[in-house]
Amino acid sequence: MALLDITDLQLAMRSYEGETQILHGVNLKIERGQIWGMVGETGSGKSLTGLSISRLIPTPPGRYLSGSILLEGQDLMTASDRSIRALRGRHIGMIFQDPTTNLNPVFRVGTQLVDVALHAGEADPSVLGLSAGASRRDRKRAARETAIDALEKVGIPNAAQRIDDYPHQFSGGMRQRVLIAMAMIGKPDLLIADEPTTALDVSVQAQILRLIHQLVLERHIGVLLITHNLGVVAQICTHVAVMYRGRILESGPVLDVLKRPSHSYTQALLDSVPTVHTKRGELRGLSGIAPDAFA
Amino acid sequence: MSLTIQNVSKIFPGQRQGLFGRSEGFNALDDVTLSVKTGASFGLVGESGSGKTTLTRCILRLESLSAGRVLFNDTDIHKLSAQEMRRLRSRMQIVFQDPYASLNPRMTIHDIIAEPMVIHHDTVGLSARQRTERVAQLLGQVGLRTEHLYRFPHEFSGGQRQRVGIARALAVGPELLILDEPTSALDMSVQAEVLNLLHNLQQELGLTYFFISHDLGVIRYICDEVAVIYRGRIVEQGRSADVFERPQNDYTRMLLEAIPDPDPERSPFRQAASA
Repeated sequence: MALLDITDLQLAMRSYEGETQILHGVNLKIERGQIWGMVGETGSGKSLTGLSISRLIPTPPGRYLSGSILLEGQDLMTASDRSIRALRGRHIGMIFQDPTTNLNPVFRVGTQLVDVALHAGEADPSVLGLSAGASRRDRKRAARETAIDALEKVGIPNAAQRIDDYPHQFSGGMRQRVLIAMAMIGKPDLLIADEPTTALDVSVQAQILRLIHQLVLERHIGVLLITHNLGVVAQICTHVAVMYRGRILESGPVLDVLKRPSHSYTQALLDSVPTVHTKRGELRGLSGIAPDAFA
Repeated sequence: MSLTIQNVSKIFPGQRQGLFGRSEGFNALDDVTLSVKTGASFGLVGESGSGKTTLTRCILRLESLSAGRVLFNDTDIHKLSAQEMRRLRSRMQIVFQDPYASLNPRMTIHDIIAEPMVIHHDTVGLSARQRTERVAQLLGQVGLRTEHLYRFPHEFSGGQRQRVGIARALAVGPELLILDEPTSALDMSVQAEVLNLLHNLQQELGLTYFFISHDLGVIRYICDEVAVIYRGRIVEQGRSADVFERPQNDYTRMLLEAIPDPDPERSPFRQAASA
């Protein structure tokens, strides 16, 4: 059974100008140990697909026209809010793009991590290494230890002291690591990373990618990496899905799709990346091409 | 036009300590020397916090220097009077990083692009009607249409907004254009279009670019010369082909290796996994 199985997901969003269909039947299957890259331009529906998996799209304004999302056989579309809440952070971990806005500036990093650990521990005490009947105090202490441990795992030096710092005392790359640590505390089976490195420098980006890659090797989890950077996809992803206007145009193993793209849009995306070998004037934008050409 | 930066240092003062004391200052720029060739593109690469933006602020005299000189056509711009400096500013313009934050949401595109011409009325000397004509011409140059004249920034996409930012910078006919990460907020595909636009404009208008970015692919694509800045020091500079193909400095090499290559066969992770 696939870890994640999305079939024919169709989503419409309501606005003042009426309802627009955003996702036109997305199909995706992720197995454990796979890192799926999802690429596409702004507005192609990559983030909304990611948010749909953890059911973070409020309905209304969103409305699912059809589709099912199965996480290890459990249908997320029909699951109750309560059971979804138990899945979030436990079975599905999420990392968002902007590490500055996704940490609360008025709470210590540790407080925020401990919250997550306690929440995960409620659903499954083994996350904290405790038995079900442990006292409140024991749980708090264990949650703090788990948090320190998670920070150490993502390579924050001096984690036991840094945990009492506020987010502004961390650099951008370290804040992103804190978010990754937060997502990994519940030992999720599926990690959804929405543009995790877009706001970061290349050298920090390389560290974060290494970290995600290592997590997959160690814990044998599945990852959905949403990005518009084809370089990142080529680096760490095993599979890639190319999205355009709410559809997946092409998907498959990275080596097949990026080396021998069968779709002209994928080729056009590849041509728009300046590499070390591109000569001036060779770069191609995409807006000259008629939008229907890819539909 | 020539721009020379000689031994520029900038130290930001430290925190106050007690009544008279101050803690040690932060050395944002440390003895930076650069010269930008007329009609060429000069690229400045560095990570966040390396001093790229401080250097541009020093070039535009938005920041005072702790030491050194910035020569624009052989005049030290930090010695000019405020009035002379204002006149000079029409010859050097800047395009900002974030096209969403750098356009006033309450002004129409026409007013945004015409504003520099109003400010520099004494040097540009255009009447209101001539300004409108010039704005229409600029819109054409950056690939927008005259029907966009009286729209507001929120009606445009990121790429289009950045085009407006470029049109605004070109309005007063500058010789030097400072581009502070002009494409980092844009999609790859849109980035390619903006880069090509910048390349064409340079050939048409004979502009000199001072291009700042942390994306080495972009710098390699657009720049003739490049300098790598690390913690306020220039660690390497030279022709971009040389720097990119034969980097001399360890830091430059590390930066180059960190660029994710869109060729999946060059991935270090995949090699490790298959080995």
